[in-house]
Amino acid sequence: MNDAVFVLTLAAAVGAAVPIALAALGELLAETSGVLNLGVEGMMLIGAVMAFQVGDATGSLWLALLVGSLAGALFSSIHAFLCVTLRANQIVSGLALVIFGTGLSTFIGKSIEGKPLDTDFTPIRWGFLADIPVLGPLLFDQDPMVYATIAIAIAITLYLNRTKAGLAVRAVGESPGTADTMGVAVAATRYVHVMLGGLLAGMAGAYLVLGQVPSWSQDGTTAGIGWIALALVVFASWRPLRVLLGAFLFGFARRANFWLQGEDWAPDIPAEFLSMLPYLLTIAVLVVWGSRDLRRRVGSPSALGVPYDRAER
Amino acid sequence: MIPFRFRLERRLERHWWQSVLTPLLSILAAFAAGAIFLLIKGFDPITVYRELFKASFTSKFGITDSLTIAVPLILTGLAAAVVFRMNIFNIGAEGQLYLGAIFGSWAGLALTGNLPTVLGVAVVLVAGAVGGALWAAPAAVFKAYFGTSEIITTLMLTFIALFLMRYLIFGSHSYWRDNEAANFPQGKKIPSSARFELWSDTRLHWGLVVAIAIAVLVWVIIRFTSLGYDMNVVGSSDAAARYSGIPVRRTVIMAILISGALGGLAGATEVAGRAYALDPNGLELGLGFTGIVVAALARYNPFAIILVATFLGGLRNAGVALQGLPGERVPVEVSLMLQGAILLFAIGGEIFTHHRLSVSRVAEAVAT
Repeated sequence: MNDAVFVLTLAAAVGAAVPIALAALGELLAETSGVLNLGVEGMMLIGAVMAFQVGDATGSLWLALLVGSLAGALFSSIHAFLCVTLRANQIVSGLALVIFGTGLSTFIGKSIEGKPLDTDFTPIRWGFLADIPVLGPLLFDQDPMVYATIAIAIAITLYLNRTKAGLAVRAVGESPGTADTMGVAVAATRYVHVMLGGLLAGMAGAYLVLGQVPSWSQDGTTAGIGWIALALVVFASWRPLRVLLGAFLFGFARRANFWLQGEDWAPDIPAEFLSMLPYLLTIAVLVVWGSRDLRRRVGSPSALGVPYDRAER
Repeated sequence: MIPFRFRLERRLERHWWQSVLTPLLSILAAFAAGAIFLLIKGFDPITVYRELFKASFTSKFGITDSLTIAVPLILTGLAAAVVFRMNIFNIGAEGQLYLGAIFGSWAGLALTGNLPTVLGVAVVLVAGAVGGALWAAPAAVFKAYFGTSEIITTLMLTFIALFLMRYLIFGSHSYWRDNEAANFPQGKKIPSSARFELWSDTRLHWGLVVAIAIAVLVWVIIRFTSLGYDMNVVGSSDAAARYSGIPVRRTVIMAILISGALGGLAGATEVAGRAYALDPNGLELGLGFTGIVVAALARYNPFAIILVATFLGGLRNAGVALQGLPGERVPVEVSLMLQGAILLFAIGGEIFTHHRLSVSRVAEAVAT
């Protein structure tokens, strides 16, 4: 038996879940307002490379996180402009954002590739709570971003369900024509939420370089997390708290190799196959939860992906 | 406040030149935007751009090298175009390309030893197409039967393909790996009977002719066959297709399989024309993703794809040539950045082919 390794893996899974959860929560905000943004991976890369630069230059973790998040928001405004103002195809625009983000971040990050960044988030120990077996390391000995992510998910839940502004956002995502008649500024609402999504995606990327991987590299840093986040929103049926749960599941899949390689009973699976795990899981999750009928029932925003044109209402 | 009011109005008439002008202007705009980033990084954009064009489009070897990269780009561009025009987004041509390379190199190693060259290459290409189609098949079936988003499944399959390819060469002593090579792990070379012939002393190979022929074939399928007709109808309206008795599921599956086969073919031409082995380092170039840019810029037109692929092939090729410039090195990635920018501007410009910007004074607008 190797329980210690298993608990360590679970604790590591919580950290690995943070970027997935942040990116997915951001996407959830954009999609709730009716804009599909496939560019998550690109926004994360921009956030990551900017955060790395700032972290490297100033040594300040929090400043780096802030700049990374803002860079993500700024970058996502391209998508907002193309899809809301110019009413472009949201799918193609999102893909373009990934391609541009990949190119731009690699270009910017060329000089820092492989360079180590010795910043790290210090875990917060909750006194004796941290000594509780299993639950202690899992919940009460994590870095501050873990708690921030949980707080953000709760805040978004309250915002979308309990506030007037949040209900207006949902109205824009369900039926922009009706929302417009009620006096909600459809375009402005969509801009704001696409950019909030970019902010969280940028934060997710920043957290990756600052807390999870030791250095910047374009293909290694995000490794498809942005795409997994997109699937996660579907899996979570557009509910923020379910995003957290799903993110933990994917975080575990990303760290499972850690545990399986240490177990005697586990067959000797090559590292490459263990690396496939999160992607296989994503497909499985999408096939089960992303089916057309189910999606309709669980309340995917009705106007998701449809540009709003007042003249053609 | 701003004294003018901007509005997008639908154009009443369209001209053919608008659809040529948009991509051209978006390329110019992207270069202008790229110049800003080059300046920030301390490079002189004029020098960089001049060298870029000189490297790819002025010398004999520059041009043939650009065309060599255009071969897989034409095929991945077609892979994207075939389905994108139906609003089906197979963005996994990258993974389908890897599978095409895996199948193609296997066929090259196992089957072509005693065959004449033309036949040997054909075997490699067919195997590659089959591999690509098989890799796209799960996404096709899930989409047709469960409505699962093909965007995410095809991309996830790309990551899985990537790890599979790396496993075959770096992670195991598989059939594909040259197990006699003592140093760095590498793929086993396919026999010469499975390789494209080169054009005189250049790196350009006969795959270019194959790619152009495939582009024509795709155009014929889309324009003149009943499958192409069905694809058009399904693409414009699911419901209309169902009411007129077109088998929607079968058409969707066929379209994605064709797209996958084209992606696989791109991998096979790389094996038969350039790498001669399953070579992960030489294949992980993002050729599949660039195919999306090619297709969008060519507005999904097979013939325009040939031109655009050559242009983007040159851009990519020049990235490497820029390394030779004196002074600080310009990163190869400048071409990747430009590609993304071109695509963004093309998408933004798209609306102006069917809309026009009307500017009016606010005072007048209020009065009317």
